Amino acid sequence: MATKFRYPTGVRALLVEETARRRRIESRFVGLLERARFREVLLPIIDYVEPYSTLVDRDAARQSYRFVDREGELVAIRSDFTPMVARALAPALRKEDLPLRIFYRGDVIRVEATRLGINREIFQIGAEVIGDDSVEADVDVILLAASCLADFGIRPLVVYNDTSIAAALVASAPEAAHAVRAALLSKRSSDLESVRDSIDARALALITRLAAGVATLDDVAAYGPTAAAAERLRKIEAGVRGIDSAEFVLHLDDIDAAAAYYTGIRFRIYSHDARTRLAQGGRYDALYGRFGTPAAAIGFTFTIDDVDEVNR
Amino acid sequence: MNPLRIALPKGRLQEKVLDVFAKAGYEIPTEDDLKTRKLVFIRGEVEWIFVKDCDVPVYVEHGAADAGVAGLDQILEHESNVYQPLELPFGKCRMMLIGAPGAPRLGNGTTATIATKYPRIARHYLDARALRAELIPLGGSVELAAVLNLTSHVIDLVETGETVRVHKLEMQDVVAEISPRLIVGRTVYRTDRERIRELISRVERSAGVPPASDGASRPIAEG
Repeated sequence: MATKFRYPTGVRALLVEETARRRRIESRFVGLLERARFREVLLPIIDYVEPYSTLVDRDAARQSYRFVDREGELVAIRSDFTPMVARALAPALRKEDLPLRIFYRGDVIRVEATRLGINREIFQIGAEVIGDDSVEADVDVILLAASCLADFGIRPLVVYNDTSIAAALVASAPEAAHAVRAALLSKRSSDLESVRDSIDARALALITRLAAGVATLDDVAAYGPTAAAAERLRKIEAGVRGIDSAEFVLHLDDIDAAAAYYTGIRFRIYSHDARTRLAQGGRYDALYGRFGTPAAAIGFTFTIDDVDEVNR
Repeated sequence: MNPLRIALPKGRLQEKVLDVFAKAGYEIPTEDDLKTRKLVFIRGEVEWIFVKDCDVPVYVEHGAADAGVAGLDQILEHESNVYQPLELPFGKCRMMLIGAPGAPRLGNGTTATIATKYPRIARHYLDARALRAELIPLGGSVELAAVLNLTSHVIDLVETGETVRVHKLEMQDVVAEISPRLIVGRTVYRTDRERIRELISRVERSAGVPPASDGASRPIAEG
């Protein structure tokens, strides 16, 4: 009886008006993506856990609902589209089909540890370009994502960075990896005092400047293992320069807590006025290889209810 | 431009924290303001909100406040993914594993029960050391659980150690070194970078936080 008048935390029914509005936004997104020559794929709502086990860290695993099916296999409800798209497409990828432009839509279900009633069921539309590792693809995908929002009358604020910078710094100090990662994430380099002797001096200088929020692209370029990322970010900066339908901010000290499978550029798109995050994406060039067919990939995902909220 | 919204913890640290912001040049609520039952004050460029210490990370993480001051105990217990750019140089204490009089050390085969206000931190502590114990979440006066034999141990903050001594309890291990931190939400850090950088550097100077390690103030290319 206690459950008669409520739904589980974080899920809800959309009634007639809300459904109509959701469908209108969805159709508009789909139209924009189809006009940009993306084609749709449909993915299952549950999948086995095992194929993703090396990709998903403990925290991400805790975000998905898991259960044992009738055959005794551990399965999970979809909580992230990107690895599922790679698993579905990798075995069928042919060189002559690349670059491939696909999009997907549907719900992801997440177990949020928050005390707030944040949605556990999130409707997303996402797109990705597979088989193009060029910096032009980075720029095209960011601009496409930004232009989708601009089409809704929302001025996008695109904040971007390259996850390989933090990854190279963490890898530069295997004995102090945990401390380096913690300093970059918390924005506090004082925690490195006890391990500074085990970190290369140039890496330590860059970590300290990133944690202090004062690092420049010249700093990143001056450290060998991150020089290529700096060069690529300069090209991306040049690629988005002069685009006035959106604001672009390179944020070098925006280090990702859950970079997961991302290997290069990582971006988030906010509503310029509401400062609400509406989309996120990035490059994951190693993901398809994990499912048998190496292929570069970059993509983004919109959370449609957040777009609706800002658009209202 | 909207005022920056800063969440501060009511109680023990409130006066010292306000003093840091005042010295940083921010207009803070007056003593008379704080005697009222109001919890929100707009003063100059800041909207100050006063909440329970355990709620500060929640407000900041979810963007209801842009920044705040919270103890590391609360940040860890909420597994909060806020940025923690500054450790403030006061209010430091330790989170300790404390045994009831005569209680054995953990891990010697006995079944321990631990009372705590911090079940997540306690679980991490036990898991990291492969120790087994049953956790009993309590809301306050946690030491009493060991004094009255409700549990064999407690995990709680210790400032002076006086309560532990008075009740003849035994401090057995340090779970974590705790200090208050200036915390900043991820979204505001990404989207309002200049104001947040200014906040951090003003608080850093006024709190007398030791300067960052080598390299923070000079470009690497010149280093």
